[in-house]
Amino acid sequence: MGMATSILDDGTRSATRLRVSEPTGAEFPLVRVRERRRQGVTLADAAAELARAAGRPAAPLLAAANSHADLLASPAATRVCRGTSCELRGAAAVAETLSHDGPVRPVHCLGYCHRSPAVLDAGGHVWVDVEPDRIVGELGQTPALPAPPRVECRAPEPIVTRRIGRGDFAPLSKAVADGAWRTLERARSLGPEGVLRELERSGERGRGGAGFPTAAKWRRAAAAPGADKVVIANGDEGDPGSFLDRVLLERDPHGVLEGLALCALAVGARRGIVFIRSEYPRALRRVRAAVAEAERAGVLGTLPVSVVEGFGSYVCGEETALIAALEGERGEVRPRPPYPTERGLFGRPTVVNNVETLVNVPWIVERGGAAFAALGTPHSNGTKALCLNAGFASPGIVEVPFGVPLRAVIEDCGATPCDESALAGVLLGGPMGSFLAPGDCDVALCFAALAERGIHLGHGGLVAVPRGADLGALLRHLVGFVAAESCGRCTPCRAGSARARRLAAGDLAGHATALRGVLGLMRRTSLCAFGREAPGPIEALLARAARA
Amino acid sequence: VSEIDGRPIAPQPGESVLAAARRLGIALPALCRVEGLSPEGGCRLCVVEVDGRADPVAACHTPLGPEMRVRTETPRLAALRRELLGLLVEERAPALRADPAGSEVERWMHALGVPGRGAPSEADRSHPLLAFDAERCILCRRCVHVCADVQGAFVWNVVGRGTESRLAFGAARFAGSACTACGACVDACPSGAITDRDRADAPAPERRTRSTCGYCGVGCQVDVGTAAGRVVRIDGAQGAAVNRGHLCAKGRYAHAWQGSPERLVRPLVRRGDRLETVSWEAALAYTAERLDAIHRTHGAGALGALSSSRSTNEAAYLLQKLFRVRFGTNHVDCCARVCHASTAQALRTVTGTGAASACYDDIERARAIVIAGANPTEAHPIVGARILQRVRAGARLFVLDPRRTELAAWADPHLALRPGGNVALLNGVAKVLIEEGLADAGYVAARCEGFEALARHLGALSLDEAAHQAGVAPDALRAFARDLAASGPALYVMGLGLSELVQGVASVRALCNVALLTGAIGPLGAGLLPLRGQNNVQGNADMGSMPDHLTGYQPVADPAVRTHFAALWGAAPPSRPGATLPQMLEAAARGELRALWVQGEDLAQSDPNQRQVMEALERLELLVVQELFLTETAQRAHVVFPAAGVLEQSGTFTNAERRVQRVRAALPPPGEARPDWEVIEAAARALGLAWKYASPGEVLDEIARAAPALFGGLAEDRLDGDGIQWPCPSRAHPGTARLHVERFLSGRARLSVLDYAPSPEADVPGFPLTLVTGRVRDQYNVGTMTRRTPLAALAPEDVLELAPADADALGIPDGEVARIVSRWGEAQAKLRRSERIARGTCFLSFHHPASHTNRLVGPQRDPESDCPEYKVTAVRVERLA
Repeated sequence: MGMATSILDDGTRSATRLRVSEPTGAEFPLVRVRERRRQGVTLADAAAELARAAGRPAAPLLAAANSHADLLASPAATRVCRGTSCELRGAAAVAETLSHDGPVRPVHCLGYCHRSPAVLDAGGHVWVDVEPDRIVGELGQTPALPAPPRVECRAPEPIVTRRIGRGDFAPLSKAVADGAWRTLERARSLGPEGVLRELERSGERGRGGAGFPTAAKWRRAAAAPGADKVVIANGDEGDPGSFLDRVLLERDPHGVLEGLALCALAVGARRGIVFIRSEYPRALRRVRAAVAEAERAGVLGTLPVSVVEGFGSYVCGEETALIAALEGERGEVRPRPPYPTERGLFGRPTVVNNVETLVNVPWIVERGGAAFAALGTPHSNGTKALCLNAGFASPGIVEVPFGVPLRAVIEDCGATPCDESALAGVLLGGPMGSFLAPGDCDVALCFAALAERGIHLGHGGLVAVPRGADLGALLRHLVGFVAAESCGRCTPCRAGSARARRLAAGDLAGHATALRGVLGLMRRTSLCAFGREAPGPIEALLARAARA
Repeated sequence: VSEIDGRPIAPQPGESVLAAARRLGIALPALCRVEGLSPEGGCRLCVVEVDGRADPVAACHTPLGPEMRVRTETPRLAALRRELLGLLVEERAPALRADPAGSEVERWMHALGVPGRGAPSEADRSHPLLAFDAERCILCRRCVHVCADVQGAFVWNVVGRGTESRLAFGAARFAGSACTACGACVDACPSGAITDRDRADAPAPERRTRSTCGYCGVGCQVDVGTAAGRVVRIDGAQGAAVNRGHLCAKGRYAHAWQGSPERLVRPLVRRGDRLETVSWEAALAYTAERLDAIHRTHGAGALGALSSSRSTNEAAYLLQKLFRVRFGTNHVDCCARVCHASTAQALRTVTGTGAASACYDDIERARAIVIAGANPTEAHPIVGARILQRVRAGARLFVLDPRRTELAAWADPHLALRPGGNVALLNGVAKVLIEEGLADAGYVAARCEGFEALARHLGALSLDEAAHQAGVAPDALRAFARDLAASGPALYVMGLGLSELVQGVASVRALCNVALLTGAIGPLGAGLLPLRGQNNVQGNADMGSMPDHLTGYQPVADPAVRTHFAALWGAAPPSRPGATLPQMLEAAARGELRALWVQGEDLAQSDPNQRQVMEALERLELLVVQELFLTETAQRAHVVFPAAGVLEQSGTFTNAERRVQRVRAALPPPGEARPDWEVIEAAARALGLAWKYASPGEVLDEIARAAPALFGGLAEDRLDGDGIQWPCPSRAHPGTARLHVERFLSGRARLSVLDYAPSPEADVPGFPLTLVTGRVRDQYNVGTMTRRTPLAALAPEDVLELAPADADALGIPDGEVARIVSRWGEAQAKLRRSERIARGTCFLSFHHPASHTNRLVGPQRDPESDCPEYKVTAVRVERLA
């Protein structure tokens, strides 16, 4: 028998059909659910309450809410970072110790990879360089604010780190004195087309991992029919090993906002959203303050900007999943097409750009796309900021022009010999990046050269895997991460990661073939980049184990 | 030109590789795909290879681009699909097993070489109609999508994070879920995790018969599967214009009445106080003799006939013809009298036609929808679902209803007016429209008459007073009028909450005023759409089952009309209009009407003022009933003819959008039961008329000749597919989806000057509550059919719904049987606190004879339409001692 089909005509069918969000009456329904959760209301009650107020069935909202880790977890839980950097530096012991003291939950990650391991207490304070013996006694006090990471520029001049390398530019006066918001003012005379043209000339590619040309994305959104376009700054930097966006949001929020405003100008958007992961409470506070200050000063013009706190799901860093979360849906990836630039948030044309991508934009518009294109390599223009975790002798953020060899970054910036004496390898670009042995590091950092070698730059985080590290444990950690953060939408990633976790938990050597099989299936058939790319580093570790 | 498996194919805009492959007849496993909805992209089994791409892509959400070379069958793809399906089944669904004759998933398991374990599993069988086996669920989410995007019930959802995600229905047992049992998920489910209980152990159908559902007036097309002389399953007809494969619980599952051992299978004739089985010849001869005797002795005025809104057009046509031709009486009516008579009359007065101006497809075109006094998701579920989906897609919904119905919850706003307060409310709205300059002056000037009089009349109206009479806040009334005007021409979906009132005609005319002032009758996506309660209530009126109109709404008083019918029938119908249904019952109670023929209608349970109805029936010298079961009415009959049910007879029904659709017998009737039209024909012959119709199709041909302006083009062979919407004056005419598009049938539409008058049931001392009666989703009218199906378990009794505060004040706990008393009678029902009802109002359905709901409803009727006031009765509720 056939199925009952939708009676809607084509114009009303879409991947963004209203399911939960607009019917609940709340702009961002999950934000409301979270507020109630923080007031001690259970998830089911919070969803039911919101749905009842709008006269809607509660079940879909509850189902959506309980795909988000933050909404499921007790707001009183201490969050222990289980990102790769912290994991390699004793997070398991920290979690174990703290679990005797109160509710604890793992998160990926807190963005303090330069000071691993890190913990976020229920009061929103971050603890770094945590030692299990000491943290128990100290928790409950107010820790000192961790010092910002070292920021270094190896490019001819700093672009993305031009402010964070010199101090704290969160106050509007300081930012303006440093030239912030000046470009937006000038861009108004340049017009949308002028901005788009500079972006095109710059050749900037998205810094979030996919490397899609920024101007092309903007062009699509600018050309899409519809008046209520939306621009979103994606501050859901979830890649363990990367903390650049956190630092940008905390210390150069006006750089992010100006980039967002330029994007809005270029595509004709009527509103902006900054989506920041809940694991970055300080970034949230500072961006909210910056938006308030910018609005008061009128520098944002007529662009209303909302700051939305994420819900604890790694996959929501992917643009369609991020949009789904904002709409009050499960934090799951949606198939494309339609692309968000045509049908994004609530069906409106939407541009989602990574924070680093946006911070580059004022510089590009100010100095001209050609100046940006003059840096880097022919196909990878400009600079890239990389993050070095605490496993390096000299951790921090380093901005380099595209094209420098990876080895130079490790040795010169990280002050760590890139050989077997110090490193078993490095994890580049987080769990969806690549695991590279020291011998694999003679590669130029540029999209073309990396792609040729099958290496993913990701968001540019580098985690040192020290000599003697338990690579089996690292493999299990990465498999566990995929299984914990898979959104569950597609078969290979949902069922495959669950199987991989089971296989990895046992005799690794004995299960290697089966494990490779399931990882290969995920890599070839998953819906989104998470399922397709996360197997890479795990397969590399498996291959390494087979050689050993 | 692109290529799939070496075969050239021209890409179509927006077409996926999967759709294109299917166009070529290439079958791909696509276990999460629901045609017509956006792709889920979850199962990944539809992976294909595309030249120039290293990894395979999912065909379901990859557009077929120009010059694309696609391969759907390669060893690598076969391996990937096998692995994916293996993973899915092993991780999720241990109960599945490769089976070439199994579910869609099991067939693919067989084809791809995934054996499965076929592990024993325990399904949740707590629900009477559906079963769910979690061990067979592969989490494809098709059910989630159809439940949300077709039915709008949101029962199925995926809960839990990522690898922990699973399908849930929001309750501990399925019976406790919000499921409306439309069965769309069963049709969508590829693995057999969700199944219908009615067909679980039934044999495969030997035959499938396309027909029209016999419950409400929506007119869904069904495929009736039969085997070994019984119904084994009913499915929604794919692609049907009305329901596109979708059905409600009644249409899909409520068919067990057909094989009920209680069916009447032989004619019965009263001997003393017993009904005795007799032969057809004897029953017909007795009936003819008694009718003739009464006719001879007491004249034409002593005989009357009532057809049922459940009868086919052909049966209804023949019954009114028989009484008009053979006995010269216009005492013919049908149960439309007690539902939409007010609507039909008002629409005839205002627009020239007593039928919907709009059609169902206007729902999907509507930018704004007004639902007035209707509860479509329960009483007309498929239309309700279509409206809900349209609202989800962005149309604005306004609901005027004393009850917070399911759709009221989606409305912006819902105005919970007092029962019977329509004229006050709508007068107020019209006043705001006119006085704030919100009316569509161009439309009114071009297409309406009576504007000045209306404006003058409303000028003198106090808005505050009108709002007070309607029971709404003046600001809410004003805001509604403004929002309505701002939304553009709206689609007006109306129900019995307007019609079944003393001010029934006035209520509908007041709604028409608002529709006309906003220019809503004519434009696409707007207009008037009264929801007819029964499968053929529209058709019965169309056929002339009315005391003042002949077939096709031709007035009996018109000599030209009578001449036309005299030529067709061989005898002219009488010129004086006859009695309406309530008037006939009154005449019977007075002893003036002595013989009544009732075709498939349970007057005793469904008509108001039940005690009086019973007395009237008792007094009749001859009560002839055509029935499926020994109903309350049949028990009082002198002759009972066993009737064929909707699944056992052929003919046509006309739905609420004037669509004439075919009804086809799927089975022979049980025993000696006969189709209604054949019984009338046989009776005519017994009465000495030389009637000879070879088939219902021949009756339809005569109907076409009887009213050529409306039905001239109707013929059986033209009605296959989706039928034809009248007017259809000739065989070449395609039918008419929408009326009054450019001009009204009456020329100009009449704006009406109306005064609100409170119901005689308002503010009756000692009876502080207002009772509204109506239907619930899982039963149908007097329940003759639905009570004999598994649906009965879902609504096993009539329940009195009362606002919690009122129930608390009475001190009656939920579930306790309470006594309900009106000035006209008493009834008893279990009480339930309900947030859906406002304080001071209560609701009771009338599906079960034991409740005697209609003993409560009094003699109040609309003076123009004679429609009873089922929707307003002053009652008090008492705790039983």
